[in-house]
Amino acid sequence: MMTSSRLVVALALSALAVAAGCGPQRTSAPVADAAAAATIREGLVAASSAPSVAGEDVVAGSGWASLKGRFVFAGDPGQPAALMIDKDTEVCGKVAKLFDRSLRVDAATKGLADVVVFVRKSSRVKNPVSETPLVFDQKNCEFLSPVFVARVGQPLDIRNSDPVGHNTNIDGTSFNQLIPAGQGTTYKPDTEMGVPKAVTCNIHPWMKAYMILRKDGYVAVSATDGTFEIADLPAGEPLEFQVWHARSTGPSGAVGLQRPDLNWTPKGRFQVTLQADESKDLGTLEVPAGAIGT
Amino acid sequence: MITPSVSNLRHRPAAVPVVLCLASLFMAGCGRTQPASFRLNTVHATKTTAPEGDLERSWSSWSRERQQQVATILEAMFGTPDDPVALAESGLDAAKLQLAAGPVRSDIVGRKNGLYREHCSHCHGISGDGMGPTAAFLNPYPRDYRPGKFKFKSTWRDAKPTNADLVRVLHQGIAGTSMPSFALLAPSQVDALAEYVRYLSIRGETEAALFTYAEQELSGDDQLPTTREFLIDEVLAPIVEKWRAAEDAEIPIAAVPAGVDFSRPGDDPANRESVARGRALFHGDGGCVKCHGVTALGDGQANDYDDWNKAIVEASKEVAGGLEASRETSTSDMSPDRLAEYRTRAEWLHAFAEVLEGDALRPRMIPPRNLRQGVYRGGRRPLDLYRRLYTGINGAPMPGVGPSGPGGKGSVSDAEIWHIVNYIRSLPYEFDGELGADRPMVARDRF
Repeated sequence: MMTSSRLVVALALSALAVAAGCGPQRTSAPVADAAAAATIREGLVAASSAPSVAGEDVVAGSGWASLKGRFVFAGDPGQPAALMIDKDTEVCGKVAKLFDRSLRVDAATKGLADVVVFVRKSSRVKNPVSETPLVFDQKNCEFLSPVFVARVGQPLDIRNSDPVGHNTNIDGTSFNQLIPAGQGTTYKPDTEMGVPKAVTCNIHPWMKAYMILRKDGYVAVSATDGTFEIADLPAGEPLEFQVWHARSTGPSGAVGLQRPDLNWTPKGRFQVTLQADESKDLGTLEVPAGAIGT
Repeated sequence: MITPSVSNLRHRPAAVPVVLCLASLFMAGCGRTQPASFRLNTVHATKTTAPEGDLERSWSSWSRERQQQVATILEAMFGTPDDPVALAESGLDAAKLQLAAGPVRSDIVGRKNGLYREHCSHCHGISGDGMGPTAAFLNPYPRDYRPGKFKFKSTWRDAKPTNADLVRVLHQGIAGTSMPSFALLAPSQVDALAEYVRYLSIRGETEAALFTYAEQELSGDDQLPTTREFLIDEVLAPIVEKWRAAEDAEIPIAAVPAGVDFSRPGDDPANRESVARGRALFHGDGGCVKCHGVTALGDGQANDYDDWNKAIVEASKEVAGGLEASRETSTSDMSPDRLAEYRTRAEWLHAFAEVLEGDALRPRMIPPRNLRQGVYRGGRRPLDLYRRLYTGINGAPMPGVGPSGPGGKGSVSDAEIWHIVNYIRSLPYEFDGELGADRPMVARDRF
């Protein structure tokens, strides 16, 4: 004979077991449409006899041109935070106190530094890749270049000018080598980056810089006063530029501006067609407060 | 009265069937068994579908449609867990995949199919996402194959592992982790599992490439192209080529220098000079001491994440920062356009937070290895240690001390790497009295 309290307990336990369901709640991810998948697969396994009809982009125009402009930040950048130095304190931050450099705004001109502007696709390149190594150095437990630009195939001279060891870990390349105190190594990057990637030192976690490797080298980084210039751009073809900043709130670091005249998109891109020997000045490009996380 | 009231139950044995009914409901679980299906990498999918500008409809319906497109393309290229597809261009062996895929079953005496689900999926997950049912209880977490990164291999840091590398890990297991040895399986079965790991990895990298392409190149309701040129030539071929190239990407192994005798213990007199040199390098140019600590107990720089966990940490930071900013923003004086944009972004942030909560394991830091324990995850042979030192460990913070590629310059010479290996092998036995006799060198209790 079952007593009422037993029954209640049994019911409660059963209800609990049912309600608990089958483990942690994962989100409901969309699933494939099997019929559509079968159709696509037919197209993929069909004899690949049909040659690709997508021809190469027709090269239009000749001559070279340059593009420049100046980024200013409309918001209040605040004060850069001091970095917490808790390793190798007898060396790190001794020469000068270290601060967060991810948002550098010139107090006098409001110029926004470290904005990366690069061409997404170009049909011609004027200058061959230089064989002269570019120096990427670190001192006082800080990377000397906050944003470093190089071309694919150009040798990098990665140095360590500190009396302590560093490892240089370049995201997106698999380069992560230990650089002993006062020494260096060379590295020839072979992959292009779609957006700038972080360079870190795992030994000193506060160390951070960005690097962008492009095949054509059409990249500029805005200077302390916010100015940038890209020279030797192919004229006569529509060029699409990507604009990036480390602290951008846009997708993948894209900086979105309200500039319909340049077809500036939320993906941080604008389009310009340059005439031969033209030196186009975009003037002042104001980055709104909301576009950069402060 | 047909329906007994609760007050009647206490006096009648009819309560027993009621309880049995409920119990059977519980035992039946959560409905019919569905055929197994691959799960999208929702973390990457949500990250790459961040709203940009004006969408004509709600973010969730737009994002779901894009995610479904990717799921459909993936099914076209790779099939389902029960029925995998090996396109000719994938370089994968369909027969091996058949052996590994699907539910556990046997149609010929002595031959079993469904090996992945029998041996692997409870930790590594049906989709190879490292999120099987047991994953959350393991430390370290099981490997997520989808980013295509593997730690213990004989190739250059940025190269894929060779087939022999995958087979070695399956055969030996990974010491110090939950990964067991599968040495009792037939070589053909281990081979089939290695092929299936490659399949899941290529599939995962293809998925990531599709979402990244969509983020970069598509806008609004644009659809991903489904042509051969795009899916095979542009997306799949470069991924497959990296796997093919792995077989020619083994790092060179320098001759073991004179005075190093690995047939004897690391601290044997025959090795004494080499061990001393290794020790100097460990504390000097090798830089090992920075993370593994002066005691080699793994107590140097110890608050870092590996690439798999770092992706989750960074996404969580982005979401937390975005949510905080959106809470602090006043919506009262926004234009209708700005308000719509604000709401869409908030919708995305909340969805992303939900995905990180439900579809990712809680990130864990990766401590540098305690070298006093003599447990080496990538294998304990001197050759294994040499490879770990030469290229570092791909996906982990561990840097290499060898050159970064053919023709490069290492932090130390190749011969010197052997001396460091010798020193590391002596560490579990080394005792110089500095730590005090009352403190065990093998600090098993150090957690």
